[in-house]
Amino acid sequence: MGENKSDVLQGTLDLMVLKTLESMGPQHGYGIARRIEQVSNDSLRLNQGTIYPALLRLRQRGWIRADWGTSENNRRARYYSLTRVGRRQIGKETENWERIAATMARLLADQ
Amino acid sequence: MELLRILLSRCVALFRGRRLDQELDEELQMHLELAMEEHLRRGLRADDARAAALRDFGGVTQTRERYREGRGLPLLESGWQDLRFGLRHLRRNPGFALTVVLSLALGVGATVSVFSITYAVLVHPYPYADADRIVYPLLADQSGRLDWAQLTAAQVRELATSDVVEKLSARINRSMALTDHDFPESVTVSCQTGDSFSMLGVPALLGRNLGPADSPDGQEPQPVLMLNYRFWRRHFNGDPDVVGRTLELDHKQYTIVGVTGPRFGWGGNNGNIDVYLPQKLSNDLPADVSFYVFFKLRPGIPRSVADAKLQPLFEQFAKEVPGNFPRRFTVKVQRLKDGTLRDLGGTLDLLFAAVSLLLAIGCANASILLLARGSVRQHELAIRSAAGASVARIFRQLLTESLLLSFAGTALGVVLAYSTLGAIIAWLPVNSFPNEADFHINVPVLVFSAGLALLTGVLFGILPALQMVRPEINPMMQTGTHKIAGSVRRTRLHGALIVGQIALTLLLLTAAGGAIEGFVRMMRVPLGYDPHNMVSVSIPLHENTYTRWAERVAYFTRLRDKVAELPGVVSVGISTNATPPDSGWNQTFALLGRPVNEEQQALVHLVGPEYFGTLHIPLLQGRLWDAVEVKRGATLVLVNQSFAERYYPHGDAPGHSLEVPGLKGQPPDMLAAPGSDGWMQIIGVVADSVDDGVDKPIRPAIFMPYGTFMFMGTQLLIRSRSTPETLLDSVRKQIAAVNADQEALVHGNGELEWWIRQEPAWARGRLLSGLFAAFAGLALVLAAVGLYSVVSYSVVQRTNEFGIRLALGAQRRDVSKIVLASAGLWVGLGIGIGFGLSFASSRMIAHWVENSRDDVLVTTAVCLLLVAVSSVACLLPANRAASVDPMTALRCE
Repeated sequence: MGENKSDVLQGTLDLMVLKTLESMGPQHGYGIARRIEQVSNDSLRLNQGTIYPALLRLRQRGWIRADWGTSENNRRARYYSLTRVGRRQIGKETENWERIAATMARLLADQ
Repeated sequence: MELLRILLSRCVALFRGRRLDQELDEELQMHLELAMEEHLRRGLRADDARAAALRDFGGVTQTRERYREGRGLPLLESGWQDLRFGLRHLRRNPGFALTVVLSLALGVGATVSVFSITYAVLVHPYPYADADRIVYPLLADQSGRLDWAQLTAAQVRELATSDVVEKLSARINRSMALTDHDFPESVTVSCQTGDSFSMLGVPALLGRNLGPADSPDGQEPQPVLMLNYRFWRRHFNGDPDVVGRTLELDHKQYTIVGVTGPRFGWGGNNGNIDVYLPQKLSNDLPADVSFYVFFKLRPGIPRSVADAKLQPLFEQFAKEVPGNFPRRFTVKVQRLKDGTLRDLGGTLDLLFAAVSLLLAIGCANASILLLARGSVRQHELAIRSAAGASVARIFRQLLTESLLLSFAGTALGVVLAYSTLGAIIAWLPVNSFPNEADFHINVPVLVFSAGLALLTGVLFGILPALQMVRPEINPMMQTGTHKIAGSVRRTRLHGALIVGQIALTLLLLTAAGGAIEGFVRMMRVPLGYDPHNMVSVSIPLHENTYTRWAERVAYFTRLRDKVAELPGVVSVGISTNATPPDSGWNQTFALLGRPVNEEQQALVHLVGPEYFGTLHIPLLQGRLWDAVEVKRGATLVLVNQSFAERYYPHGDAPGHSLEVPGLKGQPPDMLAAPGSDGWMQIIGVVADSVDDGVDKPIRPAIFMPYGTFMFMGTQLLIRSRSTPETLLDSVRKQIAAVNADQEALVHGNGELEWWIRQEPAWARGRLLSGLFAAFAGLALVLAAVGLYSVVSYSVVQRTNEFGIRLALGAQRRDVSKIVLASAGLWVGLGIGIGFGLSFASSRMIAHWVENSRDDVLVTTAVCLLLVAVSSVACLLPANRAASVDPMTALRCE
């Protein structure tokens, strides 16, 4: 199984989820997962299941919250949205990520 | 703050697990449905859409597991889960669980209780300060026999100034009567010199200790006393206000100044001291008053140095009072516990070795069972792993189960230890361990044995999980490993454990066989006297009473005659020092007309003429004394058969004369008849009876009329028509009729059978053979169960193979043979090794087990027993293997 699906760095997935929620507003787990795949033009195919532990992690930190709502197929679904702390956190996390990305870019360029 | 929040949400999750699980399931279900709908919209067929959705999701169960781990407190939660699962699992396999728990419990319980006793008796028996430095001098004569040294007051004072002595305690024990009651009650009094209590360094429980000020130099001791704790509990019901009150002893008033601590037993060998009085050490004491001395060595002085330093001093003492010393001797100072070590050390060491073996066998057994269980569970574990359990999770689960078993075993072991401790103590030979010994469960050993049991459980319990680490789940699931022979490595481990267990069991069985054989032989020793319906009553004299020879002889005779009048009494004999089975007084003697030989010793018995008839000891030759000869203290003696045969092999003992120079009177306490230490004529020979303990050969004995030499008391041996206990009250009345002040003492229930049971050798034999038999029996059962389970599991594992063999035409006998062959190899190897071990240790065992011989018969019998039990343990599963129906076996796949 899963040999053609990339394992996404833990912190990376968290940031992807936060960014998705920021741009799309409240969203359920499937929506978030599909959105991430679509944004990457399906170049990043994740095990969609991994999104749920990440969502739990973010909730426990208080960066997102979950509310029950109704889905497009008229079923009860859990919708996740950013909290105020989470919104603030995006800035920090983005900065962090950019620093790492820049470092990586420099390192790779040196080769 | 954030951490706290996470923790809080996890804790909440812990208690809302079920609802959260439902919510998660709902959420995941939603996810899959949405994904499926999307795939359907793209034109996939329904089942393809479902498969695609699942593939995209990537492991629903694993996600759920990981989500759960992140949600609550996974260790606690899964620990609880494991515990419940483990309990369920064990409940489904009660035989397995029970055997493992019992194996561990027996080992732990036996080890802890026996070691606790060893510790209390041998390692730390005394409550006194620096007890290892407190010693007493013994004198070894040429034959190595150890004897007490008795010193005069002047000698005690001189010894106290020796530069090896830090502090010294000398004592005289005597019996006194409580005279402020209607009936005189006898109390045992220990008169202690001034430094005794400060040497011991134990504070008084109430009031104060006796000190030097209570026996000032040149004055009579103060009229004060100290109560022993046990006497205080018994006589004063533990009254806390007892200090300051008075006690009347021998019609004299003493003020109670203190009560000793509960473990304090100084002065007596078996806790019999009731009262302590101060004792002076001045020169005005009569020259024949002699003291037993104890002293504390100065720090850093080895006992050998003390021996060498004291040797010249004691030789000088011997010149001053030759009667108190053997002719040639060497001083050997003994620690307080040395006597116990001699009496009981070997026995307890041996028992400790036995329980250690039992612990090893128990642990081996638990290991075998856990291993066998583990191999059967490989399949189950493979399925769990495939269903999403991580290796760590399986590891934790197995660990939980093993810990559960080990803890249960250990806990039960502790309970066993507590409950057996009392029983074993009750079986310890009385008087052979210090009365100060404080028995309680020894915590370090408890921790050690419990640790060993836990380690065994954990190590062998998680072994299957260790094998899981190698990722071979698929082949294991697909081939159903449990139907083919186990891996070579594991079989070898099983085999080694079985071999070890069988070997140790054989060793234990041999030792038990030896102990039991020796004890049975000791019980069957012909006593030479008839102890049935016999009771011994001791008559102590008070100080300064009946101090004239004729008066004392007449008094003893009158007491005997009065008791003999009772209708329930068949006969009564006076026996000053001759209550069997360990009787008489070891003395050097000379034969008239033969050269003096120092090694020539016999047991001197002081008895009345009725002694022999009362005990049913027949007269073989010559005659007994008549009443007139007893009354005048005739210098006529009888000897036993051993004496006669050894010194007069031609049967001509009567008519010859002998001399016992040690029989010198010391008035007013010790009264001797005129001529007691001179030549005495042999007038008769009596049959042999046991006189040196039931475990030793009969020694030459000389019997003299009791008037020849009288201590401060005597004993009456009474043969009654029925059980003697009903007689004792009337005996006491008869004695009181002669002298109202005279008390009569009975040791135990007084019966001669009781006296035999009190023999240290008898009690040791009973202790050893009883406990050894129990331990060996348990070991045998454990070994049989271990063997049975291993063979059974191997049969289950090879069912399929046996089915094929049978289908291909093998006879049922052949299948049995296959099973028996591998088991037989282990058993044979085990017995071989065990035999070698027994042989190697037989010298050691023979040294400690009394009367044990290298008995081929015992070893052979024990081997046969082990073979028989092992055969049954192997044959049962082998038969099951042979009765396999080939078709069923093959269909098992």
